[in-house]
Amino acid sequence: MNVIIVGCGRVGAQLAALLDAEGHKVTVLDIDTSSFERLPSSFGGTSLLGDGTNQKVLKKAGIEGADAFVAVTQEDNCNVMAAQVAKHIFSVRKVVCRIYDPLRKDVYDALGLEAISPTTVFAQLLKEKLEPEAESAS
Amino acid sequence: MELKKILVAVNGNGADEEAIKLACSVARKSKAAVYVVYIIQVKRSLPLDAEISSEIQRAEEVLTHAEDIASEQDYDVETDLLQAREVGPAIVDEAMERDIDLIVLGMPYKRAFGMFSLGTTVPYVLREAPCRVLLCREPIS
Amino acid sequence: MYIIVIGGGIVGYPLCRALLSEGHEVLVIEKDAKRCDYLEDNLGSVCIRGDGCEAATLEEAGTARADIFVATTTRDEDNLMACQVAKYKFKVAQTIALVNDPVNEELFRKLGVDYTVSVVTHLLEPIKEEIPTGSLTHLLSLRDEGMEVVEVRIPQDSKAVKKPVRELALPPDCILALVIRKEQKPQVPTLDTVLEAGDRVIALTRGEDEAALRDVFIGS
Repeated sequence: MNVIIVGCGRVGAQLAALLDAEGHKVTVLDIDTSSFERLPSSFGGTSLLGDGTNQKVLKKAGIEGADAFVAVTQEDNCNVMAAQVAKHIFSVRKVVCRIYDPLRKDVYDALGLEAISPTTVFAQLLKEKLEPEAESAS
Repeated sequence: MELKKILVAVNGNGADEEAIKLACSVARKSKAAVYVVYIIQVKRSLPLDAEISSEIQRAEEVLTHAEDIASEQDYDVETDLLQAREVGPAIVDEAMERDIDLIVLGMPYKRAFGMFSLGTTVPYVLREAPCRVLLCREPIS
Repeated sequence: MYIIVIGGGIVGYPLCRALLSEGHEVLVIEKDAKRCDYLEDNLGSVCIRGDGCEAATLEEAGTARADIFVATTTRDEDNLMACQVAKYKFKVAQTIALVNDPVNEELFRKLGVDYTVSVVTHLLEPIKEEIPTGSLTHLLSLRDEGMEVVEVRIPQDSKAVKKPVRELALPPDCILALVIRKEQKPQVPTLDTVLEAGDRVIALTRGEDEAALRDVFIGS
């Protein structure tokens, strides 16, 4: 599978490393070269300096042949924009993005985006962790 | 200090009564006119001239009560009902329009998050009003 | 009309001032607290502090009853997001975005923004006009009709020089509205009007015929 990852933060770098280790063809984009230091030395994919919302940059990253696209920069709006470019301009089959603000979920649904909110996921996870304790206490 | 026109802003909290009494007693000396205003704060989701019946009813009750307090003091006041997005600017605008000499504000003793708080209206009026401002804080009960 | 403006910066602030003076109800949403104070001091209580992309802020702003929504921040991704939230969540009829990078103009329109304005594109027009062999200058875009009003300056080596209008291979639906010649009154050309080098021609054309029109006047 050809995967493009926009944002080489902790999540982006780790995802890139995992997919690369499984033998997928991975391209990571970031606007800051020092971000690529997060990639392990064994990383065999491509790392590219550039703005993931820019169509020229995405073409250079090979988006026209990509099977999947992931947007995980620090900025929600960058992620949403990059994901929309991937989905609606380049028709990438699988597009996922990270959004911290879960309140706009209905908008993302309307835009046809698959958005994961770490806020919601993590709060849910914490709650589940606490539940057995709460039960035994009552 | 020659005072001809005094504006009292009320909002239905416990500090109203003292503010009106204070305004009346100050006014008496120079036979000043006293205007009592209530400002309905209209949310942005509604147009400014929206008629919110529950708010209007409450405002009228507060203003009637203000008139009652004034007549107990044996002083005539004029009441008015305004609609605005924010209370502070509305008070200041009204004071400028009516050429007011003194604004009287009553404020309850409030603690927000455990800290004494002036709220937003009082500092705004103190900062922006062109005339004198008399602030009457409720005693700590 | 109720108009919401996102961003009270170098574009948003004068825009709000102009809209207010025309008697519209205006609200500006600005992230920066200091800038909010400045806006309130100069425009009155027409400002709330917050993120114009956040649904909760837009709810408080009464976006659902807004007639027009304008995003004027310096970040394209924020302008896009704000307009999309206004459009898809609050069903605002007209959304307008400032496009900082002109390459995003087409993208924004594809993604649902009703109207886009690119400052850079507008800046380029007079610059292009100064170049003698320049291409077409866009004067007005009638987007819904797919028509453009353009201006073209005829260069020395153009095959249109010394030719009457009837001999030009103009694209269908293209109308020549005006010929402007130095030190003469602008004239509405007839089929017999003979064109000269240096003439500026104002034409109405279909967007897709621009290249053909360019060739008629600039091709040698």
